[in-house]
Amino acid sequence: MAILEVQHVSKSFGNKEVLKDISFSLEKGQVLSLIGSSGSGKTTLLRCLNFLERPDGGVIRVNGETLFDAGDAVTGQESEIRKKRLHFGLVFQSFNLFPQYTALQNVMLAKELLEKEKPDYKWRKKEIHAQIEAEAKELLDQMGLSDRMDNYPHQLSGGQCQRVAIARALALKPDILCFDEPTSALDPELTGEVLKVIKSLADQETTMIIVTHEMAFARDVSSQVIFMDDGHIMEQGTPEEVFINPKKERTKQFLSRYTEG
Amino acid sequence: MKRKLLSVVLCAGLVVSVMAGCGSKSGGDSEAASDMDYVKEKGTLVVGITNFEPMDYKDENGEWIGFDADLAKEFADSLGVEAEFVEIDWDNKILELEGQTVDCIWNGMTLTPEVTSAMECTDSYLANAQVVVVPADVADQYQDEESLADLNFAAEAGSAGEAELEARELNVTPVTAQADALMEVAAGTSDAAVIDLLMAAAMIGEGTSYADLTYTVSLNSEEYGVGFRKGSDLTAELNDFFAKAYEDGTIQELAEKYGVHDMLVK
Amino acid sequence: MEFSEQLPIVVQALNQGFLQTLKLFFVTLLGAIPLGLIISFGSMSRFRPLSYLTKIVVWIIRGTPLMIQLLIIYFMPGLMGNNIWGGGESGRFLAASVAFVFNYACYFSEIYRGGIQGVPKGQEEAGLVLGMTKSQIFFKITLLQMIKRIVPPMSNEIITLVKDTSLARIIALQEVIWAGQSFMKGNQGIAGVIWPLFFTAVYYLIFNGILTVLLGRLEKKLEYFR
Repeated sequence: MAILEVQHVSKSFGNKEVLKDISFSLEKGQVLSLIGSSGSGKTTLLRCLNFLERPDGGVIRVNGETLFDAGDAVTGQESEIRKKRLHFGLVFQSFNLFPQYTALQNVMLAKELLEKEKPDYKWRKKEIHAQIEAEAKELLDQMGLSDRMDNYPHQLSGGQCQRVAIARALALKPDILCFDEPTSALDPELTGEVLKVIKSLADQETTMIIVTHEMAFARDVSSQVIFMDDGHIMEQGTPEEVFINPKKERTKQFLSRYTEG
Repeated sequence: MKRKLLSVVLCAGLVVSVMAGCGSKSGGDSEAASDMDYVKEKGTLVVGITNFEPMDYKDENGEWIGFDADLAKEFADSLGVEAEFVEIDWDNKILELEGQTVDCIWNGMTLTPEVTSAMECTDSYLANAQVVVVPADVADQYQDEESLADLNFAAEAGSAGEAELEARELNVTPVTAQADALMEVAAGTSDAAVIDLLMAAAMIGEGTSYADLTYTVSLNSEEYGVGFRKGSDLTAELNDFFAKAYEDGTIQELAEKYGVHDMLVK
Repeated sequence: MEFSEQLPIVVQALNQGFLQTLKLFFVTLLGAIPLGLIISFGSMSRFRPLSYLTKIVVWIIRGTPLMIQLLIIYFMPGLMGNNIWGGGESGRFLAASVAFVFNYACYFSEIYRGGIQGVPKGQEEAGLVLGMTKSQIFFKITLLQMIKRIVPPMSNEIITLVKDTSLARIIALQEVIWAGQSFMKGNQGIAGVIWPLFFTAVYYLIFNGILTVLLGRLEKKLEYFR
């Protein structure tokens, strides 16, 4: 069974329809790349999956559970959304690290707040805290940041910040980790270290959806590629199908701009 | 939308001010017959004063004493209530009365037309004068009214002194307090000031910051009275009290004690 | 009376007056800091009638002199037939506190609004996708960033507040300037003496000096992040 099913999702801002009848599915351990020019709806799609925007129509299912159904108002209830969000993680283009916390605290904060709400937190406070800290340290270690744990975001480079942000998203063990142009805000020499981390996550079979303009990277890391244009899914398939033998004229046009440039 | 908003706000402002207007009127009317009951019911006579030696001032224990303060205590006793002294801003005395934050103004208050039209005032119990204050070294040049023509005066805004100066068409700069008028003369920003005789006696000459000032001409004599809310029945009550206190010598005794016996009204 | 004899009497009276100044200052801060936050939430509310109403109130309070507000708040109830404050010192202090808290809360609310809106939207979104509640996001993430932003403008307002407390004289609250002036009119055997009034400035200067140092320290403390 697919870990994620998206069916007929649509979304408008005012009169402008930014997502039109989007349907796709994703298997566990797969990496899906979303490509397309800016304004084609990729970012809005990610934001819909993370409930930062509410779709006007369609259904979103994770592990067979219906998280959102435009036809069923109950699934849109504010109180439920918080729990549903935890199926997804999101790494932002501009990192959005919390500036007043160290790298380690950034990774630990959300998990600790969640644990605090559990009834047995009071009795096992120390034990829980130690466990969260150990996990956070391991994640940062995995990101190659073991010597940067106590630094504040403004003391870190862009690439380091983005790796902290990835660790922060991973700390909640989401089913699906989403990236919204994770290297677009970085200096060219810093994109490599972030892409390397994402690649290693792909190798560990982390289910991921990546919005990116790094075509070579998308081709290398993805099991599935979707090319979006003007709110539609224009073309969808394996990297070979989309990058090497695109069927649609629009896809060829788009890709040629990258290979030429 | 904006115009609508503005009109709503203006309407609201109008309603508030109209309500305030009606409120003060109806409040005044309904209180009028029962001001004494109102005071008796709450058990305190709140006396609006300023720190004004020898009328109202504090002794070393912080207790209010003085010719007016002692009399006010006796009067409150006769009503069977406590006298409570509250220092007020003199400019706001009518507001304080009408706003019921004090029950009377009893502080060597000159009975000017403004005061008598805004308050229910008692008969006068002391007579005072407005005097001209000038630097001592030029005092001999200003010993009569004719010599004052070219001077620039400072006087408390709304005071009897200001009114006297204006009646004589002399140049007046209104200031916020009698003390400020003195400072004007001391600083040379005005040539002369007009203040109460009582004030002048206490505030200028040896041992003050105004050792170089003195007072010369008296512009008028004037009368001190106590003010209550418009229509208050306490005014008649206090007039009776004054008569009785004069009869039994209480007033004379206090006047002697505070050195104002020359000013007593027979 | 000799200056050396005047000094202890004057200083004692000014101390007493300055105690009132300080009381009004701290009560205003204690009341206006949280009330300002509530007002700022009101003005940012998505419920239009509430945000319009709050904005009108803020406009009226910021658009009229505090002195007039003091007079209206203290005298208006009595003029309308029911004096709620009483005539004594405590009533005057209470009325002055209400006027000051409300006035300063409105100024603070605008500073808060700027502070809150100055925190990037991405901070809230990052909190949301990490499963935090709105209140967790406010208290754990937005609040401190907002505080960092508002400390400099708040410092200005707070120092202005110290000096503004003298306006309460209009309803005869006996703060330090009132105490200084009393020696011009005559107080405790000292009359016609000017220097105590000017000397009150020293009290303001010293207190504002202390505040400037403390607020500067707070600003420094928050420099650990950007």
